[in-house]
Amino acid sequence: MAHITRPKSISVVTIIAIVLILLAFPMLFMPSVKRMGDFVPMILGIIITLQFVSLIGVWHMKQWGVQLFIVMFCTRVITFMFLDLYGFRFYFSIFYSVLFIIFFLIHYRKMDGNL
Amino acid sequence: MVFTLLKESILFAWGALLANKLRTFLSLLGITIGIFAIITVFTIVDSLERNIRGSVQSLGDNVVFVMKWPWTFGPNYPWWKYMNRPVPEYSELDEVERKVKSAEAVGFCISARKILKHNNNTIENGMVSGWSYGYGQVKNFEIVDGRYFREDEAEGGYNVVILGHTLADGLFPNNEYPIGKSIKVAGRNCKVIGLFKKEGESMLGNTMDNQAVVPYNFARLFMDVKSESSDPFIAAKAKPGVTNEQLKDELTGIMRSVRGLKPLADDNFALNETNLLSKNFDGLFDIVGIAGAIIGGFSILVGGFGIANIMFVSVRERTNLIGIQKSLGAKNYFILAQFLFEAVFLSLIGGIIGLLMIYLLTFAADGVIDMEITLTRSNIILGLTISVLIGIISGFIPAYGASQLDPVEAIRTN
Repeated sequence: MAHITRPKSISVVTIIAIVLILLAFPMLFMPSVKRMGDFVPMILGIIITLQFVSLIGVWHMKQWGVQLFIVMFCTRVITFMFLDLYGFRFYFSIFYSVLFIIFFLIHYRKMDGNL
Repeated sequence: MVFTLLKESILFAWGALLANKLRTFLSLLGITIGIFAIITVFTIVDSLERNIRGSVQSLGDNVVFVMKWPWTFGPNYPWWKYMNRPVPEYSELDEVERKVKSAEAVGFCISARKILKHNNNTIENGMVSGWSYGYGQVKNFEIVDGRYFREDEAEGGYNVVILGHTLADGLFPNNEYPIGKSIKVAGRNCKVIGLFKKEGESMLGNTMDNQAVVPYNFARLFMDVKSESSDPFIAAKAKPGVTNEQLKDELTGIMRSVRGLKPLADDNFALNETNLLSKNFDGLFDIVGIAGAIIGGFSILVGGFGIANIMFVSVRERTNLIGIQKSLGAKNYFILAQFLFEAVFLSLIGGIIGLLMIYLLTFAADGVIDMEITLTRSNIILGLTISVLIGIISGFIPAYGASQLDPVEAIRTN
């Protein structure tokens, strides 16, 4: 199994991304989210969890991590639009997620294509 | 094939959990406490919210109350503007009743705490309300035994009373039948003609259970009708198809003309409706909910760290076994699934125990407080969702690490 050294910049960006993703987790408990429906916290929770999983993939320099991150970013944006969850948090999450995606794509070729 | 692998992963994880019962118990305790804390707060908040909304609903969605004080709260409440306003009077009700077109019914109500007595049974500070006949058509209530007072009884100020469940129980213990019996209300004889249906505890304190209702014209004999302490108000119920806004507009015009206010003068009355109360409570419940989420969130976080820690230990302990499994052909995803299932199992069992504890607590609360506390479907779903997601988040890193181990190096590990 070939070992790919993780650039320091990826480490820093991934840690920041993990912290931002985990800070979004308490959103599941918000009364306003609960009021939208019984299954809305579950859907948002799955999105946040899979984003977290994708970042673990990026941390291990796996291409599936970047792919999953992009898929979950799109899912998150579509879900937020459907749920009408616009606001500062929504636009801010788009902003930093796009930055992360660009950064991950720069390093994409160096990453391992296996699971 | 996939199902076989899934089944094997689950059985393997289950076996590992059973092999270390004490460790399993201690690690799931964190999640149990977390789920218990967070869902208990949500259950209590939801139950309180339901109770208050029920109380607000009983006042009527389509009812506008003419009062001295507006139902708004907050730091910028200009109380000094309102304190010199006059209280609504019964004479104003006649004018409103005569002029209003968009109201189906109009009524007047005053209330005060008085002594109620029957033989040797006394209730100090019983809530006695004086209703005009029309208020019976405005207010939502149910009479289980007896009747509401007739129009002539209301107009003539007959000494008749309708009792709430708690007052009836207090004045007539030992299952004595109260209808037709005479009680003393503020020292005056009064005949019981009806009993209100039991409503249970109300957070707003407006339950009919602890109220004795008499005709207004009888109540004014022993209550100070011009005093603010009697909390007098006029209530108007909108006709079907008429919005509260339309009714408020009409009432504003009528009240201004009744009180002879000049065109540029401010209103010296407040028009309140139940949605004002609901809005105020929405904000309050949101704050309590967010506080609960923060407290519970930290408990869950601690529980998640506990599970992650246990999973790292578990991977370390079974590194040798992972090596053997991989050398016998186990795929990376099988090892990943095995450890991930173990973490999710742990977390889910912890969550289920936490939810069961809350369920038992709701039964215990039923016997202690006179308010329905229920563990709702949405809270059960939320509790289970959080458990599974915390299991995945805390278990993924050790599980993925285990799946990436080199079989040769793993077998060599002691």
